[in-house]
Amino acid sequence: MSESKKPQSAKTYLADLATHVPTSSRRDFLKKGVKFSTGLAAATVAGEAISDNLPPNIPSWSKSLGTGVVSTPYGVPSKFEDDVIRRTVEWLTADKISSISMSPIQELKGIITPNGLVFERYHAGVPTVNPEEHRLMIHGLVDNPLIFTMDDLMRFPSESVINFLECPANGGMEWRGPQMEALQFTHGMISCCEWTGVRLSTLLAEVGVQTKGKWILAEGADGAGMSRSIPMDKALDDALVVYAQNGEKLRPEQGYPVRLFNPGWEGNTSIKWLRRLEIGDKPWHHREETSKYTDLMPDGRSRRFSYEQEANSVITSPCPENPWGQKGSYEIEGLAWSGRGKIKHVDVSIDGGVTWRPARLKGLVLSKALTRFSLPFKWDGAPGLLQSRAIDETGYVQPTLNQLRDVRGTNSIYHKNSIHTWQLQSNGKIKNVQLK
Amino acid sequence: MFSLNKLLITLTLTALVSLSSVAFAADDTHYGIGEKATAEQIAGWDIDVRPDGKGLPKGQGSVMQGEAMYEAKCASCHGLFGEGEGRWPPLAGGEDSLTEDRPDKTVGSYWPYASTLWDYINRAMPFPAPQSLTVTEVYAITAYVLYLNDLVEDDFVLTQTNLASIKMPNEQNFYIDNRPDTNNTRCMKNCKDPSKIVVIQSLRGITPDQETETAPESSEAKPNLSEATIAGKATYDTSCFVCHGSGIAGAPKIGDKEVWGKRLGAGMDTVVKHAINGYVGDNGVMPPKGGNLTLSDEDVKNAVHYMVEAQ
Ligand code: HEC
Ligand code: HEC
Repeated sequence: MSESKKPQSAKTYLADLATHVPTSSRRDFLKKGVKFSTGLAAATVAGEAISDNLPPNIPSWSKSLGTGVVSTPYGVPSKFEDDVIRRTVEWLTADKISSISMSPIQELKGIITPNGLVFERYHAGVPTVNPEEHRLMIHGLVDNPLIFTMDDLMRFPSESVINFLECPANGGMEWRGPQMEALQFTHGMISCCEWTGVRLSTLLAEVGVQTKGKWILAEGADGAGMSRSIPMDKALDDALVVYAQNGEKLRPEQGYPVRLFNPGWEGNTSIKWLRRLEIGDKPWHHREETSKYTDLMPDGRSRRFSYEQEANSVITSPCPENPWGQKGSYEIEGLAWSGRGKIKHVDVSIDGGVTWRPARLKGLVLSKALTRFSLPFKWDGAPGLLQSRAIDETGYVQPTLNQLRDVRGTNSIYHKNSIHTWQLQSNGKIKNVQLK
Repeated sequence: MFSLNKLLITLTLTALVSLSSVAFAADDTHYGIGEKATAEQIAGWDIDVRPDGKGLPKGQGSVMQGEAMYEAKCASCHGLFGEGEGRWPPLAGGEDSLTEDRPDKTVGSYWPYASTLWDYINRAMPFPAPQSLTVTEVYAITAYVLYLNDLVEDDFVLTQTNLASIKMPNEQNFYIDNRPDTNNTRCMKNCKDPSKIVVIQSLRGITPDQETETAPESSEAKPNLSEATIAGKATYDTSCFVCHGSGIAGAPKIGDKEVWGKRLGAGMDTVVKHAINGYVGDNGVMPPKGGNLTLSDEDVKNAVHYMVEAQ
């Protein structure tokens, strides 16, 4: 008769359970009771760490089920990471349509910038381009002017590269003096992704560039019709026409469905929403290479076609957003990059550039890519002036701000790649300063 | 013709080869992908203009014609005299300021070529309605902006043939990038005198608050808004926000109940009509449909509702 007993005992068992308050809520109840009765005392203890989720207790998430697959068909970061976002400096531009936002590089690890955090810069907002109706036209001094669909472009052999993308105005707010108490605002106009697309040289071979063809006008399909003149040498060297970043299709902010990508060059030459490439014998001198993106020198003359992003570096930890706490062991960490090739060395100073120690380059060290450097450090609580100095494979040594200003004055806006100084205070806080 | 034939032959050969053997790619340089761009397709998209005038379409426009057009379509942002309203860029002034502490870089003081002005206005302005101007308008408005910069006289007529001959004052002052222009060395010890280090602190109060931001108020549809209002939000964001978001140049600000209350005294119909057809009021110029003539009357009406009702 065991069969008849079984349901009975299960019933009894369940009934028995129902009279029990589950342990976790009983503990909650007890804790609340304590809080209510002796508010002050409990608050101080709770401030220390009374949590049901800390050892020796078993955390609540270990005793329940989580959400199932595809509850978020396209995954998003943990809700606890909701302050890791792009930010803008409102007063920089007249409106948000032609504006810029910065990547939270103070929070990022490794060298790859997640797609949703890549800095944004556009001159007429993000257009909504239908890939089915988007076309890339290549014409001008060519034998066979051609028009490509997105499917066409993806039939060509693809290549993937890991390269940084940087706005030449990165740091440009600080030519005259330190302004921003945040790494995101001093250096955040940079990101680094794996970019996938077809070599521009492949497409050029397809249309057959005539010998007189020395320049290429690249033009976007956005409301700014963003346009830049690109020399043929770059096009044949390493320029790509890319449709994917970090494994997925480009984000709309990054030029979906297709953009030009010029490794190591100022970001705005990498025309987004690319619709047209015209081959010509001379540059076009359009607005974005005359009125803007030219560098005014103290003598009133200006540099044009200043394409390369020279070697640069910055300490990302500590920084104003990542201060130190108590004395002890820390890792001074940061990012270095050069538009002319690989980073060869990064040196770190804690005394404002009097003495320097070589840092270790860690992880991948790739040409024209963000490169991590690291220097373990025992902090005794003394204040300091932290700096990093990058040297690239051409032997170029990142300049001091004074060296840059001596040549360029303070009105050139773009290409400020000088050694950056963080002031470490004895409370572990970091301030943005400059040295005279 | 010749090149097209060659292309066809390549294509045929490719097909034959891949049928008869296991070939992975035709040859290294030609894939035979893409279609021929027709002369008509190219003409539609080939809008760029060069300093030598290459790319300019047939046409002309005078300073006289340009004045009214500029005042209707450009002045609300760039100012009646090109001085720039509020934060919008100035288009004139700043002569001889390039070596000053605060240089004023404008079309007249900085731009090396007049063709750039024609090209840019044609491709990107007016800001809310790019590529909406006729050829005559672009010539006339370009002439007028040159006039505002004292580069041409008031009886000047800009044409396809004379644009390249206009000399801009700053043309000779550009040169090709000559970096690297510094040569720091990799000094490791005693690199400077520590007693001479002066620390400059940052200005206070200009770093934006980095608390997690919520979406901007003005462009959030509120649940108690009418349907027209909700439909109008998208139009507002793309075509009206640039002026009505900040109240630039006397544009009534979105959600400013008092100002809109007064204006609605004239009746919603009149206010909407003004938005559709444009008008010159006491405060400034409201361009027809905010400059974006691709909008339907309905779109504009909805956008007006949104501006009036939004909080
Ligand atoms: C709603 C405001 C607005 C209106 C109306 C407008 N513009 Fe602009 N204009 C802008 C903005 C914003 C920019 C800068 C765009 C950018 O950031 O790339 C600009 C840039 C320009 C520039 C380049 C300035 C420089 O120094 O580089 C010229 C020239 C110009 N506009 C001409 C015109 C003309 C001509 C018209 C009328 C047909 C016009 N604009 C209408 C907002 C406006
Ligand atoms: C280039 C700047 C600009 C843009 C873009 C613009 N407006 Fe205006 N608008 C103005 C100015 C300036 C006025 C005030 C004119 C006056 O009364 O003096 C105005 C006034 C108005 C009024 C008040 C009419 C009245 O009778 O009082 C309405 C309604 C309006 N705009 C709707 C729109 C809509 C809808 C859009 C977008 C589709 C738009 N505007 C885009 C500049 C602009």
